[in-house]
Amino acid sequence: MTEHLASFPYLSCMLLSPVVGLFILLFLKEHQRLAIRMVSLVAAGISFGLSIYTFVSYDKALGGLQFVEKYQWVKAFGITYFVGVEGMNAPLLLLTGIVIFTGVLTMWELQERVKEYFIFQLALVTGVFGVFMSYDMFFFFLFYEIAVVPMYILILIWGSTRKIYAAMKLTLYLMAGSGLIIPGILLLYSSSGLFTFNMLQLHAVQFSPWVQKLTFVLMYLGFGVLAGVWPFHTWSPVGHVAAPTAVSMLHAGVLMKLGSFAILRVAMYLCPQGFQYWAQFMGLLAATGIVYGVFVGLAQTDLKYVIGYSSVSHMGIVGLGLATGTVDGLNGAVFQMFAHGVMTALFFSAVGYIYDRTHTRDIHELGGFSKIMPVASAFFITAALCGAGVPGMASFWAELLVLIAAVKVFPIRGLFAIASLVIGALFALRVVQNTFFNEPNPKFTHFEDVSPFLGLPRMILIGFLIFFGLFPQVMVSMIKSSIVPFIQGM
Amino acid sequence: MGFNIGSVDPLFLACFAIVALPALAFGTIMIFTWRRDNLSLGISLTCSTIPLILAWWLFFTVKGATLAEPIILQVNWMVSDAVVVPFGFHLDPVSLLMLVIVATISWLIQIYSIGYMEGDPGFARYYADLSLFGMAMLSLVSASGMVQLFISWELVGLASYLLIGFWYEKFSASEAGKKAFVVTRFGDIGFYMGLVFLLYFMKDISLFGLGIADINNIGLTQKLTEAQITLCALLIFCGVAGKSAQFPIHVWLPDAMEGPTPVSALLHSATMVAAGVYLMTRLFPFFAASATAMAVVLAISTITLILSSTIGMVARDIKQVWAYSTISQLGFMAMGLAAAGLAHGTLFAGYYHLTTHAAFKALLFLCAGVFIHHFGTNDFFVMSKDGGRKLMIPMVTVTIAALALAGIFPFSGFFSKELVLAQLWHLDNKLWVGLGLFGAFLTAYYTFRVIFVLLFPRPDDHPAWQTYYVREEVAGHGHGAHGHEEEEAHGSHGHGGHGDHHGVPWVMAFPLIVLAGFTLVLGFMQTRIEKFLLGESHPHELNYLLLVLAVGCALGGIGMAWLDWGRARANWSGFLSKFPMLENFFIQKWYMDHFWRWFLNTVIYGTFSRIFTYNDRRVVDGGVDAVALGTIGSGRLLSFIQTAFLQLNLLFMVLVLAGVGIYLLMGR
Repeated sequence: MTEHLASFPYLSCMLLSPVVGLFILLFLKEHQRLAIRMVSLVAAGISFGLSIYTFVSYDKALGGLQFVEKYQWVKAFGITYFVGVEGMNAPLLLLTGIVIFTGVLTMWELQERVKEYFIFQLALVTGVFGVFMSYDMFFFFLFYEIAVVPMYILILIWGSTRKIYAAMKLTLYLMAGSGLIIPGILLLYSSSGLFTFNMLQLHAVQFSPWVQKLTFVLMYLGFGVLAGVWPFHTWSPVGHVAAPTAVSMLHAGVLMKLGSFAILRVAMYLCPQGFQYWAQFMGLLAATGIVYGVFVGLAQTDLKYVIGYSSVSHMGIVGLGLATGTVDGLNGAVFQMFAHGVMTALFFSAVGYIYDRTHTRDIHELGGFSKIMPVASAFFITAALCGAGVPGMASFWAELLVLIAAVKVFPIRGLFAIASLVIGALFALRVVQNTFFNEPNPKFTHFEDVSPFLGLPRMILIGFLIFFGLFPQVMVSMIKSSIVPFIQGM
Repeated sequence: MGFNIGSVDPLFLACFAIVALPALAFGTIMIFTWRRDNLSLGISLTCSTIPLILAWWLFFTVKGATLAEPIILQVNWMVSDAVVVPFGFHLDPVSLLMLVIVATISWLIQIYSIGYMEGDPGFARYYADLSLFGMAMLSLVSASGMVQLFISWELVGLASYLLIGFWYEKFSASEAGKKAFVVTRFGDIGFYMGLVFLLYFMKDISLFGLGIADINNIGLTQKLTEAQITLCALLIFCGVAGKSAQFPIHVWLPDAMEGPTPVSALLHSATMVAAGVYLMTRLFPFFAASATAMAVVLAISTITLILSSTIGMVARDIKQVWAYSTISQLGFMAMGLAAAGLAHGTLFAGYYHLTTHAAFKALLFLCAGVFIHHFGTNDFFVMSKDGGRKLMIPMVTVTIAALALAGIFPFSGFFSKELVLAQLWHLDNKLWVGLGLFGAFLTAYYTFRVIFVLLFPRPDDHPAWQTYYVREEVAGHGHGAHGHEEEEAHGSHGHGGHGDHHGVPWVMAFPLIVLAGFTLVLGFMQTRIEKFLLGESHPHELNYLLLVLAVGCALGGIGMAWLDWGRARANWSGFLSKFPMLENFFIQKWYMDHFWRWFLNTVIYGTFSRIFTYNDRRVVDGGVDAVALGTIGSGRLLSFIQTAFLQLNLLFMVLVLAGVGIYLLMGR
């Protein structure tokens, strides 16, 4: 892959902006709430702006790795700070920017321990940005762990509904995943004989087949835990439910993509033969997850559980796309990571608004919210329709690409995935009907609708969903510019 | 997106405007003007009038587009690797005619709704949804590729969902919307699979974006084996069956009448439900390439015809009767196309019936809407009692439309139904034409049941009311449930009740007159339309036997209706009451709703969903929790070793050392 050095350290700025914000927050006092919020918003806003900038100004014709920054860190171990942007991570950086920016706005009304909350949230997002832009396995893993740890605290302190159980479960699960990843990384590091963590250099090495097979499955399972691969998904609905709104947004919207992105970027990239060996297995788990997620979601009554299981199903689509190993499938998978991230963020942000007021998420207790808060309802309904795969929204295209590619590679699994779309529609509409239609529950009629300011983050999310729904080529050509060489290199 | 406006064909721009303007209206109303009724109305009307004019302009000016050589204008919408999705327009006589039909009826409905929806709190939302529907339907009709068509198809379903559940506070309405979406989705999945299979079978040949013209060529050039074509055609037919309400997934359409009546007229009778039949017409060469698929389609559409006609005979909600008549006429259209496919005929008969049906069925619903709006009830017996026939314009126009539906000369339905029957007559097996004639008889019967009841009201002490009240109790759980709901949702917004009649407002009367005009004229346009569609018109040799049979069936049905419902001594019980079992079977709608309810509750929720959830809680999650508990437990267990008894520790140490010593000694 060709590397084009950056004229200005855009990526480091994107990465450091939350860190700087975090340090400024340390010096503020708890009661200076407006200042705390503004600092967080500006820090997130800078990253968001830079992520849009890199997405827009990435030169697709030139291709390769752009905005590259490389600084040697520990020479003895071959560790370098090596970041860059290409077609497949630009959408995910953009996604992270969108979700953190809207997440800060969504949590504007937070009253409890505001300062600490934003500190941890900014720490979390630093890790996420770092993972998506790193091309050095050491930093990749370092950022990966940075992203996971604040999650524990965020859920434990600001969460709800069995938060201690959920936080513990999530952390143990992800640590178990890391326990599989580290041996994988070390195996590649030691068997390459190059003493480098640089992924591009490791890619050039032809590892022996058994190393590839072993490493791939270790990494697939390890990262798969975070990606919500069936049957290692049960931490995710529980975690979504317990987490506060913006953390759910980041968690389902971005964190789960870390796992699937890492499978693509590290496992498939470095162990192509391992991937060929395990592809059928990946396809099987993914298709099972797709069908399983919708059926379990159908039986849930807590709004956040419903969304949690829809995530399991939608992340199954990502997994299925990855398992095909074709250009269409991978395009669709990366597109789906982006689309699902924005969509879930919208979902949680809409649910969060309602929950903050009603303090219930039971769909039997809610009802008639279209009458009480039409705008907030419109946000949720849009997300639900997007989840049901209605065209005109970004996720339709992603699913289309994945499903067409999947039928070619695994016809039966592909057909099951297509068939589950009916249940997906039933599932989404059931929630919409129970929550937003019918007669309003008199207990809740006094609540006010979303103010324009609080509506803003949701509008941004919807705007991105519809923009990429109408102009999918913007996204697909971007992703394709790096997927085509990626497949050729495999 | 290679939009370079300067070099774009003006024809493309015209088509694009037809599709994009309603979309623009939807977006603008939804985001900006949703609190302002009149402004929204203005935007929506402007954005439906311009497409109307453009559609007619295209209809008259586009020359040289034939079925075999359509004009295709497209740009790439999305290019992945093997998947290429174009966005564009496929102009040929079939799509031009349908564009005109859709644009005209949408426009008339928008005018009519000004009166019907006046004062409704969701007025602006209503017009936004209508605009969304207009955009989706116009794009569906003119799409150049199957993926674009599928997208529009789904958006049409979305608009239908939003409009059926328009009065969402009502449980029955939100339920009906959900049912419509999910049931049609069920069919659409078949459609989706059909498309994916087409791509799968065509592996080696790049099928440019699944263009409609390419698919039709498959049928002609026989690149696939017949079995492959049959599979794909039947899967695509699932989508047709979902949208055009064919057995066994017709169950959503009668419930869809929960929406406002103009919506029923536009979506659920004239245009959207015809989309399925339109798709069959669109892909006619492809469908016709598989005789097996065509035979299956013929059987399904015939079952649909008979089933819906028999249910229509016992329904007492005027919209329900028209809804079932819609299903039966859609069955007729599909039969016409399937028979033509089997007997190497042309698509004209089925498509022509679609055209005439669009006009007279929209008219029937709009008239029903006037009655419902005026009397605040859906029950046509009550309308009759309250003086339904005093409303001159709707009463005259509804009779015209009913005559067309029954197939009486010189109304348009006569000509088109005659053609469909003639297609069936060409088949070797005369059973089909027999069933078609039987369907025509039933159609005339149930249509005129409504007309006669409305035309000849009974005084309150007439014995017929006795039967009516007795049967209301019997059928209480059938259609009674639908009875007066629209009134509740709607009447409370200050519509004129019985007291302040002020006739029919002109915005509501005008569309009736226009559609009545079409109903009268379209029949005589037969040869012209045929020439427009096929490029030539075949002189039809008149089959006098069939003509006599068809007219006889229609007149027989009307006569029977007169005996049962019209004449002064008729006691409104119908000949069916002599067969109570059969009548109850029809009142229960052939138990199809019961079947699907059972399927959903028992199979989907009760079995799969429950088992999977149980598995998730107990097995997957339970396993994880067990590991965690096991870890804690083993930690506790091992902690007993740490007892701080020096003696025990020493003993343990000695034992281990002894063991190691023995091992080393023995090993040497």
